[in-house]
Amino acid sequence: MAPKKVESMETEKSLTEKQKRALSRFADSLDGRLLTHLNSCVHCGLCAESCHYYLSTGDERYIPANKVDQLVSIYKRYHTGIGRLFPKWIGARDLNDESIQEMVDVLFGGCTMCGRCSLHCSIGLDIPFLVRTARTMLVELELVSPGLQSTVDAALTTGNNMAIPREELVDTLEWLEEDLQLEVNDKEASIPRDQKGKRLLYTLNPREPKFFPLSISAVAKIFYAVKESWTLSTYAYDVTNYAYYSGDDEGAKEITKRLHDETIQLGADTLVLAECGHGFRAMRWEGPHWIQKRYPFPVISVIELLAGYLTSGRMKLDPTKNELPITLHDPCNLVRAGGVIEEQRFVLKKACINFIEMIPNRENNYCCGGGGGQLSMGEYRDRRIVSGKVKADQIRKTGAKIVATPCHNCIDQLMELNQEYKLNVEIKTVAEIVADALVIEN
Amino acid sequence: MSIPHWILITGFGIFTLAVFYFVSQIVKKANTDDLSQAKGTTLPAVIYSMTAAMSPFKKETAYLHKPTYILGIMYHIGSFYALFLLSLHFFNISLHPIVIRFSYSLLTITSLCGLIILIKRVFNLKLRHLSTADDYFSNILVTVFQILSVITLHKQETFSILFIVSALLFLYMPIGKLKHAITFVISRFYLGLFYGKRGIWPPKRWKAWKLKSH
Repeated sequence: MAPKKVESMETEKSLTEKQKRALSRFADSLDGRLLTHLNSCVHCGLCAESCHYYLSTGDERYIPANKVDQLVSIYKRYHTGIGRLFPKWIGARDLNDESIQEMVDVLFGGCTMCGRCSLHCSIGLDIPFLVRTARTMLVELELVSPGLQSTVDAALTTGNNMAIPREELVDTLEWLEEDLQLEVNDKEASIPRDQKGKRLLYTLNPREPKFFPLSISAVAKIFYAVKESWTLSTYAYDVTNYAYYSGDDEGAKEITKRLHDETIQLGADTLVLAECGHGFRAMRWEGPHWIQKRYPFPVISVIELLAGYLTSGRMKLDPTKNELPITLHDPCNLVRAGGVIEEQRFVLKKACINFIEMIPNRENNYCCGGGGGQLSMGEYRDRRIVSGKVKADQIRKTGAKIVATPCHNCIDQLMELNQEYKLNVEIKTVAEIVADALVIEN
Repeated sequence: MSIPHWILITGFGIFTLAVFYFVSQIVKKANTDDLSQAKGTTLPAVIYSMTAAMSPFKKETAYLHKPTYILGIMYHIGSFYALFLLSLHFFNISLHPIVIRFSYSLLTITSLCGLIILIKRVFNLKLRHLSTADDYFSNILVTVFQILSVITLHKQETFSILFIVSALLFLYMPIGKLKHAITFVISRFYLGLFYGKRGIWPPKRWKAWKLKSH
């Protein structure tokens, strides 16, 4: 698409083509909601203590208001009269190498888009929305962190973010199926693949077949116990959508479309998303906007499904099988931005005898530091670990021995925090804990 | 009408036009057509967003910073009250001595709140890092407006200065950070829509959720 003409200004000549494209992209996205949030920050600075980056480092760059300013300063410079005439007066900045570098550093390297700051903002700014809008500009500038970009590229070119060949996935599922048959002592037990007309199409986080196959086994065992009609797709199964994090709307649309089309192609009644925070948010809440279409089927999290099994009496659990104290880490995109808040608590309380809440919890919970694409951006690894100290302290205070979390990004980050901060806990998905407590009736 | 009256009318007129233009842009470009399937309801969430969500019981920025929160609330009350008094001055409506004493006390306190907020912005490193000239100027302008409102309660002859400063305030409001007076409600509205549709606001604790799901 040809870039729109950028407003006439002194610096226009010095803008590169990419910069013009980025500004044009930004101008295109200026809808009522964005205009409102761009004109609202009062620099009260009270948001600082809502951010785990700021809390862990005390570095002013990580104050959410400063993150907001990365975009607002550009908006003021190119879209307001006073910003054009007296930029310094209102903190307007040119889009140049210096401001772009700071945007990359603060918005990719210092923000997980967890949204805790928004919840508590004095005014009510949607800060992750502003950060993501700025990231869409960085996509145009081709400045997405290489690790994050390669994750998106892998998903777009191979169908899953870990570039797992289909044959490898099928092999993994086959041996998991054999394991399941042995475990439940039933040769009919299966992990159905690419079957049409099932009630549920279940998705996977590619990290599961690659590194955490036990979480697939756990879900398969649960589905076996409740006699669920379900299938996996071996073609389009990736629940993640890192293009949401990178700011690449076109990529996000393509990834969303795959799961959407596969659900229709297989004729499943419901699309069930695996334990993945951002994947849930992207597919459940943002996807219809990207593909500009309402889904003709419901999209739910597996956590909602498990809660439903329990409330309907379809699934029986023996909590004494999970004796160790369990705490819950709330993934930001599933809870604060996804609305799955009570279901996991309900499930865990039925699945163990000692459930301990972190303080604060639910929508007020602190980010673990693994969101925002941070896990794939190796250059910010040290910052990510430091920022996770808030979460590590929270976990330690609970005294729990197991941390449950319905998100594989969070699991990876919590595992690193566990090692780094010597927490001596075990990190598990909710389904794994449920599978351990499962009562299978013949 | 005197010249200060006309200056104030001009300032207010330009302010009204600017606000009208700005809000019309927001409304014209509003895109609330969210195609995702709702989990919650938006109206209670929007109401919650504009009420309880801002209370010191719910908002961390309030309960962790109670003195600043109280200073801010008082300062804003003072600003709105001073605007109310300005309209009375404009129409030359005389006040009962008790109302004058009340107004004097209130605006003295709220002006002091404004000054403390300004001092905090100057000396707090975190705030200084975030601040631009606009932040200081806006704070000073509104505080001076409140102080002049107090003075005019006793010295009627200062009304001309009050009217000129008020005109400046109206002219500046759509330009700088004082614009939040216009966008605040819209921001909270959007936030309420976001959290409401997703079933996050108003918060439902697990017992309520369990009862509902059964």
